[in-house]
Amino acid sequence: MILYDYVLSPDCYKVRLLAALTGAKITLRAVDFHPGAEHRKPEFLKINPAGTIPVMEEDGLVLTDSSAILTYVAAKAGPEWLGDDDARMRARVAQWLAFAQRLSASIGKARTHDMLQKPADIDACRAGGIQCLREIEAALVEQDILGARFLAGDRPTLADIACFPHSMLAPDGGISVDAYPAIRLWTRRIRALPGFVEMPGIHRLHDLKPEPAKA
Amino acid sequence: MWTPVALSRDVPPLVVLPVVAGGRELALWRSASGRIAAWADRCPHRGMRLSHGFVRGEALSCIYHGWSYGAAGNCLRIPAHPDLEPPETIRVAVHVAAEAGGLIWVAPSAPEAPPPDPGALQPLRSLTVEAGTAAVLSLAGLAGDTLARGHLAGVEVTVAVQPIGPARCALHVLTGAAGAAERIALSRELDALRRRAEAGEMAA
Ligand SMILES: N[C@@H](CCC(=O)N[C@@H](CS)C(=O)NCC(=O)O)C(=O)O
Ligand code: FES
Repeated sequence: MILYDYVLSPDCYKVRLLAALTGAKITLRAVDFHPGAEHRKPEFLKINPAGTIPVMEEDGLVLTDSSAILTYVAAKAGPEWLGDDDARMRARVAQWLAFAQRLSASIGKARTHDMLQKPADIDACRAGGIQCLREIEAALVEQDILGARFLAGDRPTLADIACFPHSMLAPDGGISVDAYPAIRLWTRRIRALPGFVEMPGIHRLHDLKPEPAKA
Repeated sequence: MWTPVALSRDVPPLVVLPVVAGGRELALWRSASGRIAAWADRCPHRGMRLSHGFVRGEALSCIYHGWSYGAAGNCLRIPAHPDLEPPETIRVAVHVAAEAGGLIWVAPSAPEAPPPDPGALQPLRSLTVEAGTAAVLSLAGLAGDTLARGHLAGVEVTVAVQPIGPARCALHVLTGAAGAAERIALSRELDALRRRAEAGEMAA
């Protein structure tokens, strides 16, 4: 599996994260998203005419949507992440995979606006991002009432992987994450998963790292 | 004056987060052994927000250069100078933090009375509303100020109100309702209340 990847992209990171959590072997192909805008060059548009990353390629299969890529990696390397325990869990996973597109379109755009000076209606992106975070917070409150610690059930699934990166990186787009206690605890649970990997701005729980040795 | 800043349940050991009380920005954190603390959200070294830091054992460490601070706000360790005993003068400004009835309360200095106790209720959730305290409470039909009581979605609620600014407050909601359906209905009613308050709706 080849992943066309950019290190600062939350949509690429979610694929790297799932691969690490499932042990899937992926080959990274770095795309010079910024400043090179390689994803808009003719060569790249032959692979993904939409000009977005991530893209996954394997044996002639080309996937250009992060939710589809997550589904593929899970089906191959960690089917339990698909959340197929029952009809409700399966539907919840599908719903959050679709919801993740709203996160890219709001928080993701606010972030590329603030960090890479890409044009955007920044007020609309931030308002949309806040609305998304409130929906995740409310959903986590309801899950907790039902005795479940993750978005689609009482164990982590693709739903959590799809929504986790933007929930952490919202401050990069000028969207505060201070007011969401359920999101704070949920992201801590994800950051403590065995095999968790980091990206710039998203770190493993510090308290799980060993204290630096005294000199 | 005590200000409610969080539900105890939402701040388990090793968690640190930013809160606002009495117009001041604080880092609220709980140590590994369960001790709750509220400190000025400013590292004495270079002013980094301590709420971006991390808790290890009984100390809070700054994310920037790793200076760590013990229960009294005293500097315990400066990683760049591991052999140095940090001077007593390096201290974080410490506020008073206390817990009662499933809520965390803070005050700038020890008040005469203990924090209000809402009684035996279950925590539901906290939510921040972009509207002033008085407007939100009257729209909700809740009576009281720091601890307001009434009914929402037909369920009895107690709301600890944290003013954050002239047009922002946080509601820390407790209820006696134990059933999942009632609790979910109440949570959804709180979202509806927030939408109405933020749309500028006024109590009739
Ligand atoms: N629907 C896509 C959206 C991914 C997306 O928006 N990616 C950003 C980078 S994180 C992008 O490629 N933006 C194109 C651009 O800004 O030119 C997915 O989820 O894979
Ligand atoms: S600013 Fe906190 S350790 Fe330097």
